Amino acid sequence: MAIINVSHISKRFGETQAVNDLSFEVKPGEIFGLLGPNGAGKTTTIRMILDIFEPDSGEISVLGGSMNEEKKNHIGYLPEERGLYQDIPLERCLTFLATLKGMDEKKASAELREYMKQFDLYEYRDKKVKELSKGMQQKAQLITTLVHDPEIVIIDEPFTSLDPVNTEMVKDILEMKRDEGKAIIMSTHQMNQVEELCDRILLIDHGQRVLYGTLREIQNNFSSRDIMVTPLSTLPDSIGGVREIRKLNGRYRLVLEESFEPNKILKNLINLGVELIEFEIAVPPLNEIFIKVVKEQEGDKND
Amino acid sequence: MTKIWHIIKYEYTHHVFRKRFLFSLLSLPLVVVAMILVALLIGAFSVDTSPVGYIDHAGIIQEPISAEDGGGFFNPVIPFQAYQEEEQAIKDLEDKVIQAYFVIPEAYPRSIEIELIYFEEPSYEVQNQFTDLVRQNLLASEDFDPDVKQRLEEGNLITMTSLDGSHEMREDQWYTIFTPFIAGITFMIVVMTSGGYLLQAVVEEKENRTMEIMITSVTPNQLMTGKIIGNIAVGLTQLVIWLIFGWIGLKIGGQFWPILQDFSMPTNYFFLLLVVMLPSFVMVSAIMAAIGSTMTDVREAQQVSGLFSLPMMIPYYISSTIMMNPNGALAVILSYFPLTSPITILMRLAFTIVPAWELAINIMILIAFAIFAIWFAGRAFRLGMLRYGKKLSIKEIFGKRIEK
Repeated sequence: MAIINVSHISKRFGETQAVNDLSFEVKPGEIFGLLGPNGAGKTTTIRMILDIFEPDSGEISVLGGSMNEEKKNHIGYLPEERGLYQDIPLERCLTFLATLKGMDEKKASAELREYMKQFDLYEYRDKKVKELSKGMQQKAQLITTLVHDPEIVIIDEPFTSLDPVNTEMVKDILEMKRDEGKAIIMSTHQMNQVEELCDRILLIDHGQRVLYGTLREIQNNFSSRDIMVTPLSTLPDSIGGVREIRKLNGRYRLVLEESFEPNKILKNLINLGVELIEFEIAVPPLNEIFIKVVKEQEGDKND
Repeated sequence: MTKIWHIIKYEYTHHVFRKRFLFSLLSLPLVVVAMILVALLIGAFSVDTSPVGYIDHAGIIQEPISAEDGGGFFNPVIPFQAYQEEEQAIKDLEDKVIQAYFVIPEAYPRSIEIELIYFEEPSYEVQNQFTDLVRQNLLASEDFDPDVKQRLEEGNLITMTSLDGSHEMREDQWYTIFTPFIAGITFMIVVMTSGGYLLQAVVEEKENRTMEIMITSVTPNQLMTGKIIGNIAVGLTQLVIWLIFGWIGLKIGGQFWPILQDFSMPTNYFFLLLVVMLPSFVMVSAIMAAIGSTMTDVREAQQVSGLFSLPMMIPYYISSTIMMNPNGALAVILSYFPLTSPITILMRLAFTIVPAWELAINIMILIAFAIFAIWFAGRAFRLGMLRYGKKLSIKEIFGKRIEK
């Protein structure tokens, strides 16, 4: 059962068709990657889900129906345009924003203190927000997104300005939230994070759906049936069923002949007495898929 | 409802517990106190208290009594010194022992003329006190009933009453007409200050880029309601504190100047004040919210808001013209124009009788404009709330389609 159901939505701003007949759904207990090049319509789509904009056509169902005031309390949103009240102490800012998500002040205060300790912000709670570093403000903003334990978390570029330690921590939190059954929509350009975190992705370009499905399905679809191997010593010059061997930084990429199964290659390698550290079916990195698809789209548009 | 309450609380504490608020709170009473002190000091120092001589050929001044009270710093008493011979008076005048001298001629009872001889004209206070001295001595010489004597000493007291009885002015209470005038101005200052705070609150939301977080937590209506009520509460706090200052000032001042104890505000004026104030409050709030939504930073927004607050204060700057001729063409025209009407109406009501139908039309125009301003602010807010760093043009706000 989907927690967010987007059905054939379109949105036009003046001459620009920001979103064009877009459909997808997000389920509880998954991290859903919303991807696309700059200006593809990601933020507009998110804003329509959040009822900041109304779609010109199409339907959006959130938590089993159209958006209302009560439902806003069950959504955590980390917008692309980060914003906190700069001129007030951190704790007051966070408490105020938490109460606007329907939390009572006492509960908000207790939860916030826990989060601030986790994010190493506790000792800065009386400092004005503007006195905090960019990374700290980013963490504070994440607390605002998560403190009311929302059913739906929508985050736009959650890892910018975070150091590797904090990035890991945020990833852990997101995975924990997923395991608790929350639905997480993540929009980012950091494809490695998408590969590590996302269960399913939607790639949009020019407001239209280009790719949609589980990460594995999509990568398999783009798989070139190449094999990555790392031998203990060197590889023989020719291997049965392998058309081409490319050496890459201690690893080898084996390009297979048509209709040759990877299993047979493994067998051939063992028969040849090659000792292997790694044998892996080459999955194209999401980054490559992204660039390929977007370039194809550009080509189509120009035709 | 609780969310609106949280916003009100936030807005209120955000402004009230700031140093800036304390400054603006104290600045007005301090300026008023300073102005009064300066005026009193100028008054006190401009009176030369060196003796003034007199030569009484008519034999009127039997008791060279001066004012009964011993005077003080702010009520200086000028000593009068009797001379027999004019030569001696001239000599003392030349030697600057006295600043001037009066000559009461023998024919005074018939001519009622007194001569004043000086090198440098003495202050008005000198003539005033000498006239009192002469009057007291004249009365003392006659065998009057003490009541009659007192009436003669006090002189006339004229009370003017308008035909409908709504306005009354006593000669000795000229300041009572200023009470409603000052009240009107004070209320308008509070309206404008609240508007200023609201403007700041809306622009800050954009400057801090918190608008998106806000409208995914509350409705735009809740946000604006909370902000408007919160900032009006700030304005009212300011007003209440000023009223307390004023009350304390009157109580303390009343100890020295008894006339201050008579300050009062006519009830019907107070009612009209509210009728004018409410739509003005709404109008100013809406205009400020609209500017806040269209502008990108506080400084710019304050400059633009000046374009609106300036016309609102025009009647105040030309208040003498309106006071002199409260039913003149200028005053009447300014009462029809929504931005200038609040202060103009309040001033005219203080000084004259405005025909009921005219007043009704003025207030109706004001209310209509306030409603229009709300509509305008609503559109500006919806269009401008997510625009960071880009201004909204008036054309866009009036545009046919509204993107939500």
